[in-house]
Formats: sequence, structure tokens, C-alpha cells
Amino acid sequence: MTKVQITIDGQKIAAEAGSTVLEAAREAGLDIPTLCHHPALSNWGACRICLVEIERQRALQTACTFPVTEGMVVHTESEKVVAARKFVLQLLFSERNHYCMYCQMSGDCELQSLAYRYGLTEWPYPRPVEPLAVDATRQYFVMDHNRCILCRRCVRACAELVANHTLGVRERGIHSMITADLNVPMGESSCIQCGTCLQVCPTGALMDLKSAYRGRETQVERTRSTCVGCSIGCGIELVSRANHLVRIEGDWDAEVNKGLLCVVGRFEPLFDDRQRVTQPLVRRRGLLEPCEWDEALGLVAEKLSGDSLAALITTRATNETMTQFGRLFRSLGAEMAAVGSLAPAPGAEGRLTDLAEADVILVVGADLKKDHQVAGAFVRRAVDRGARLALVADADNGLASYATWHVGFDQMDSLVGMAAQASRPVVVCAADLPAEAEAALAPLAGKASFLGLSRGSNSRGAVAAGLPLSRGGEASARVLYILAEDDRLHIPRNGAGFVVAQASYVGPLTDMADVVLPAPIWAEQSGHVTNTEGRVQSVQAALTPPENVWPTVKVLKTLAGRLNLAL
Amino acid sequence: MSPEEQKQPTHPETPTAKQAQRSMLLTALYIAQAQYGHLNDEALQRVAERLGLPLSEVYSTASFYSLYRLKPVGRYVIQVCDGLSCHLAGGADTLVDYIRQKLGIRVGETTSDGLFTLQTVECVASCGTSPAVRVNDELYENMTPQKVDRLLDQLAGR
Ligand code: SF4
Ligand code: SF4
Ligand code: SF4
Ligand code: FES
Ligand code: FES
Repeated sequence: MTKVQITIDGQKIAAEAGSTVLEAAREAGLDIPTLCHHPALSNWGACRICLVEIERQRALQTACTFPVTEGMVVHTESEKVVAARKFVLQLLFSERNHYCMYCQMSGDCELQSLAYRYGLTEWPYPRPVEPLAVDATRQYFVMDHNRCILCRRCVRACAELVANHTLGVRERGIHSMITADLNVPMGESSCIQCGTCLQVCPTGALMDLKSAYRGRETQVERTRSTCVGCSIGCGIELVSRANHLVRIEGDWDAEVNKGLLCVVGRFEPLFDDRQRVTQPLVRRRGLLEPCEWDEALGLVAEKLSGDSLAALITTRATNETMTQFGRLFRSLGAEMAAVGSLAPAPGAEGRLTDLAEADVILVVGADLKKDHQVAGAFVRRAVDRGARLALVADADNGLASYATWHVGFDQMDSLVGMAAQASRPVVVCAADLPAEAEAALAPLAGKASFLGLSRGSNSRGAVAAGLPLSRGGEASARVLYILAEDDRLHIPRNGAGFVVAQASYVGPLTDMADVVLPAPIWAEQSGHVTNTEGRVQSVQAALTPPENVWPTVKVLKTLAGRLNLAL
Repeated sequence: MSPEEQKQPTHPETPTAKQAQRSMLLTALYIAQAQYGHLNDEALQRVAERLGLPLSEVYSTASFYSLYRLKPVGRYVIQVCDGLSCHLAGGADTLVDYIRQKLGIRVGETTSDGLFTLQTVECVASCGTSPAVRVNDELYENMTPQKVDRLLDQLAGR
């Protein structure tokens, strides 16, 4: 790669040709402040806070957009620069309501921290009198226009990363406002509540209902982990404080999702209000009563030996749990299954990143607005870039408006033929396709790369652990063992005489169980999961389970011990 | 079209299909406004659909330019020029005041019979014959209160 020699604040730097002054400075560890700039988004040059002095340039220039050239000499904190930055800040502070002490971002706000950095102690300009609207029409987060600095990070995130294009800026000048679609309330707009805009907002304008006021950056812990909301397995950061989950953020460095998340991964775990199971329970005279682990495990061990046995496991479980589960129930001769399924892949298996290169994307049976939503964002991005989407799906499919062709399964052959002509076709298929649809994909083997979206987060991990996959309703045996953890499984009793549920939450499963063994939730255990591409990723515990809740694997091992199985 | 024929342009200066569609937005909005009288949701939606652009982008653009009307206006939109020349010619203030009183509406409002909307605009490129007034797409030059009287009567069909 070609380098150019530049000088920033007296420091000689070999900068990458084509990079911006900001990138070169950051590469060299120099800090130029930014507001509208975000590394994951296109450069905008709107806020003017990154102004720097470049010798032989008449005016100050925005470091975030100005390309480096050979011999360039840059001053990032000269008197002129500092005065300009102060002026920009004063204007920003005077435009809307930035009374930081009433703002949930106080302490973490990028605007506020710049005010400290440049010693803003007063408002030299008249401050706003008219309060602006607060849009609280979305379920999980709020838009407070009073705190907005119109940096448009949210607009770019929604357009460039999520490719959902919900956000825009209406009117101009002092009347400018962030708006959705045809100026409708956010909750009535095309917004899919992925929260990507929320994650990039530098101020308190976008505010997450759960994490607001619950801890500044210096008070929280961050744990890198993997979302088990679906089989995409997005990289996340679990933000926690005092053993409570405060927030979930997309991990910008994660290969799978590169910072993106969907509503399921970002918000749903925080709003899970089911009641926890915190101790072992045994049913006596029809009622579940607390008991000691010893008693509960004794009872379960007794039932597991002897009678006809079926054992089901959630596909939210880790590979480690799957393996241990397989060992235990295999040696007990149980009928085993993990509740999930794989999608067909009649040809070379692809990766999510293939979508970025595809010219034709054939989506079969999947509604990527409802499930595997981050894959949906990648498909929409590809369409924005010029790829064409061929959809074989129901008429109400969430990506219908992005499709060039949209047919039902009965007319799928025409689209398969078309995809076979493309130069880089990618097929995205759902699990549980009708057999004819699976067969119809055969001509694409060897031509397209296949991205199957398995149902159940870790169905591939289950298969690797030797567990067959099922819908979960077929098992029939005298004794039924269900390892559900925090999954919302719906499993019929099918006449079983005795049911064991290893579960994190009270629900339909514990209602029918004869013994309930408390289980940690996903954020309380470490291990690995295998995503739909076959990528093995790590899950890290961010929280400690309640006192009397044992790790799932420990329970399985203890049961094996009681049954005198050497596993 | 086969995928072969639809290959993306490779020359860096060639606009993508999307950019080409986007470049038609201003014209499309103009046509829609002419058809609908103002850019209501239906008009904006149709523009978005026809050009394959997001609603947000269509709305942002339509609301950015003051010559697009998002709210209903009267049959005749009276635009009194408030540019520098017209202002100096003494026209703007006097004419605006005169029309305001005559029609009983403020700038930006529409008469209750739906006939007239009053607006002020910047230079309408008729500085040599200022003060200038535009009604819909017609230009009226060297305006005086008397000429306004006649014009309004004529438009109202009196
Ligand atoms: S909401 Fe946040 S990200 Fe969006 S423009 Fe306002 S300050 Fe910037
Ligand atoms: S939540 Fe996602 S879809 Fe909704 S406005 Fe923000 S980025 Fe766009
Ligand atoms: S796409 Fe799947 S893995 Fe990614 S955030 Fe959503 S639920 Fe989690
Ligand atoms: S960060 Fe450079 S102009 Fe906003
Ligand atoms: S200022 Fe009125 S026409 Fe130019």
C-alpha cells in the first residue's frame, strides 16, 4: 500500500494514501474530536467539530473528510482551531435543550465531553424556548428531539447499515428535524426497532428505555459474547452492572454482524419478564414445592433408569451442554432430540459475507424481516448496491418491496433458472421447506453458494454433538426429560407419566413438570455455539446465576454420577 | 432482461440505477404537485414507488424546498416577491399588507373559500420590472395595489 508522508502536530506520520486526515491522526494515536463521524458510517462532514488547520489551505478543513497528501502539515489544536471548535460547540449548545444534568446520557455524551474539553462555561447565545416533541411511540427506545444535534449518524446507520431507510431529515435550517418515512411517528413508521441508530447516537437524543439512568460507562462491565436469539449468532457486548443486564450492543468487530443487531437480540432479553425458577421443585399432591437439589436429583435419577425415556434439548444450549446431554441420554438408551432444524444446502455452503458480492440473491421461504433479521439487513444492503432479489415466499413477505421478482413455491423453477444464469448467485433458504422446493434447488448445486438459515440458534451444534433434530412434539415415552433453559419451548406431554423440566423460567413446561430443575439463562453461562454458517463462536457469562441455580452441565454430570455412568 | 443484460455499469462515473432514479426526484415531485395541487401522502407515496426511493428520502427532499407544498393551498397561490429589488421598489411590504387586508388572511394562509393563498418568496427573476407578483405560474410585473385589485377580481371571476 502506498504511503504519504505528513506531519500532524509536529509528529511525522506515514499515512495511507487515500485516507483522511482524521484516519491518519487516529492511526498515529492523535485525538481529533468528532461528532457526525462514525467509523462504521460514510463520512459526512456536517458538524464541523473536527476542523483542523492545514498549512497552505485558506480555511480550516474538516479532518473527517479531507484526504491526506504528500508533505501535508496539519495542526489539530492551534489557537484558530480551538476557537473554531468552541464556536461550533456554542452553536450546538444554543440550538436545542442541552441541560446535561437532566439527561440520561450525562457522563457518556460525546457532546458534553467536548464541552468539558473546550471549557464551555456559558451560553453566549440565546437558548431555545420552545420545547420540541419527544417521540415515545416505539416500544423499546425514545427519540427526544430536544437533545438532537442533527449529526445524522442515525440516518446514515438506518440507510447504510440496516438499509431500512426509515429516517430522514425534514425541512431545513433551524426547522430541521429527524423524521421517519412521510413524517409519521416512529412507532407507526417502517422502523424495525433494530436499535442501530440508538447505538450510534452520540447524545441523549435516542434513549434506551431499559438502560437510561442505569449506569455510566465507568460503572458498567462489558462482556463480549454471542446472541442466541437465532442461528445467525451475532457478536454482542453485554453491558451489565451489579449482576443486572443494562443493555446489549452490537460488537463492531464481530465478523458475522459487524455491529448490527435486530430487535430480538438487542431488546428482547432485557424485557423478558417471566418469573425465574430459583430452586429445585417437586410436585406433591398436584403442587410444585421447593426441595433440595439432593432430593430432586435423587428422584430424577430413579425415574431415568428403567422406564422408556425421551430427552429433548433446546437449541439455545451451548455445544458443551449438547455434548454432555448426548453422552448422558445416549448411555441411558433414551430417544433424544434437539428442537430445531437445518436448512437444505444442496451445494457449496456460503457465508453471510457472500451477500455483499452477490449479483442475484434467491431467498426461498424465509421472511427476513421477522426472523434472522440481520441477514435481512445484508440482503437489503446488497439490493441497494445493485444486486437483485428473487423471492420465493408468501405475498406478505417483509422483503417484498425490495424484490425484483416475487413468486410462490409453485413458480419457483423460473427463478431457479434465472439464478443459475447469474455470475455470483447466493441462495438463502429457510429450514423446513416443502420437499418439492428443496428438490427444485438442485440445479443450483455447484453454481450458487447456499446460505441455509437453521431454525433454532444452535441446531448445528446439536448435530455436531450427534443429536437428531426434531420439532419437539413427536417424543413419546413413559418419562420425558426436557432441557429447556431459557427457551420458550412448547412440548406436549404425549402421555408421559413423569416429566422433568430443566428450565430458567416458570411457564407451560414447568406447569406440566413433576420435577423442575432450575437452569441458568444464556447470559449466565460460558461455552460455545455454532452458527448457521458453521462458525463456532464463544458465549461468555456476564451474570452470575441466582445462588441455588446450578450450571446446566453440572446438573447433567451429577445425574450421570448418580446413575453410576462414567462419562 | 437476462442478468447478463442487466450487468451493473462499470465505469466509475456512470451513475448506478439508483442514482439515476434519484436524479429524477425533483422533477417527479414537481409533476406530482401539479397533478395533486399539493404533495399529500398519496402523491409522495406514488413518487416513491415510481422511482423506487425510500419514503423518508422523498419526504426529506419535498420538505427541504419551499416551492414544494406539503399542505393544501388555494386555487391561486399569490407569491409576492420580497427579494432585494422588489423590496427597494417599495413593493413588497405595501403589496403584502394590501393583499393581507383585502383577503383577510396572513402570509401562508388560504382564504376560507379556498381561492387564494398568500406567500412571500425571494427574487422571482423579474427585478427589472419590480415589484413582481407570481400567481401560480404567471408573472405580473410593476405591480401596484390598483393592479392587484384588478387581478384578484379577475381571478375570482368577478
Ligand atoms: S438522533 Fe442522535 S444520531 Fe440522530 S441526528 Fe440526532 S444526535 Fe445525531
Ligand atoms: S431502529 Fe433500526 S430501523 Fe428503526 S430507525 Fe433505527 S436504525 Fe432504522
Ligand atoms: S439476527 Fe439473530 S443472532 Fe443476530 S441479533 Fe437478531 S436474533 Fe440475535
Ligand atoms: S466529525 Fe468531521 S465534520 Fe463532523
Ligand atoms: S427581487 Fe423581486 S424579482 Fe428579483
